[in-house]
Amino acid sequence: MSYWRAAGLNYVNYSNIAAKVVRRVLKPELQANAAKRDETHVKFTPWVKGKPSNEKA
Amino acid sequence: MASFLRSTKLVAKLTQGPTKCFSRNYADQMNFTFAAANQIFYANKNIKQVDVPSFSGSFGILPNHVPTLAVLRPGVVTVYEDEGTSKKIFVSSGTITVNEDSSVQVLAEEAHPIEDIDGSAARQVLQEAQSQLSTASGDVAKAEAAIAVEVAEALVLAAGN
Repeated sequence: MSYWRAAGLNYVNYSNIAAKVVRRVLKPELQANAAKRDETHVKFTPWVKGKPSNEKA
Repeated sequence: MASFLRSTKLVAKLTQGPTKCFSRNYADQMNFTFAAANQIFYANKNIKQVDVPSFSGSFGILPNHVPTLAVLRPGVVTVYEDEGTSKKIFVSSGTITVNEDSSVQVLAEEAHPIEDIDGSAARQVLQEAQSQLSTASGDVAKAEAAIAVEVAEALVLAAGN
């Protein structure tokens, strides 16, 4: 078993770290675009009785 | 007469038998797809060979490869194109699939031609990761730092070539 799996990490965790490291070593002109992929934006809209409500879940 | 007919039938069966057994109806080409979140490199293109680094070892894939699934380890994927040229692309992680119809898919989280890797940045990131590993406390933090070191080492190696 690999050390990271023994520590409770899975391949998705591994992949995320690996991708982040790769993005940091790109040539400067590619960094700006790559940095955008570092963040993930998720917007939640809870639905109440069939209608979207703006309350945060 | 009947037995003669039977024996000719048998001979016919024998001569066509082996070809039927061994042909698996594979195409002689490999439909190669290589994509990452940042870029599509090949979409159903025919290539000669592709070498991939995986957790089950690094291996080369030619047409008619046996169906396989593997997860990628950080390293250089080398694609030998039909035109005789070859391309080296660094992948962070992802999956490699070889299907029964000889098509191959490499799906990576982050993939860049090795020309796009900044060698000095890679060495710096490796140093940072190493110092992070030495100061990390806790199993998870240590493992995370060790992964970063592993990836940075692969990047330095790839940039050096």
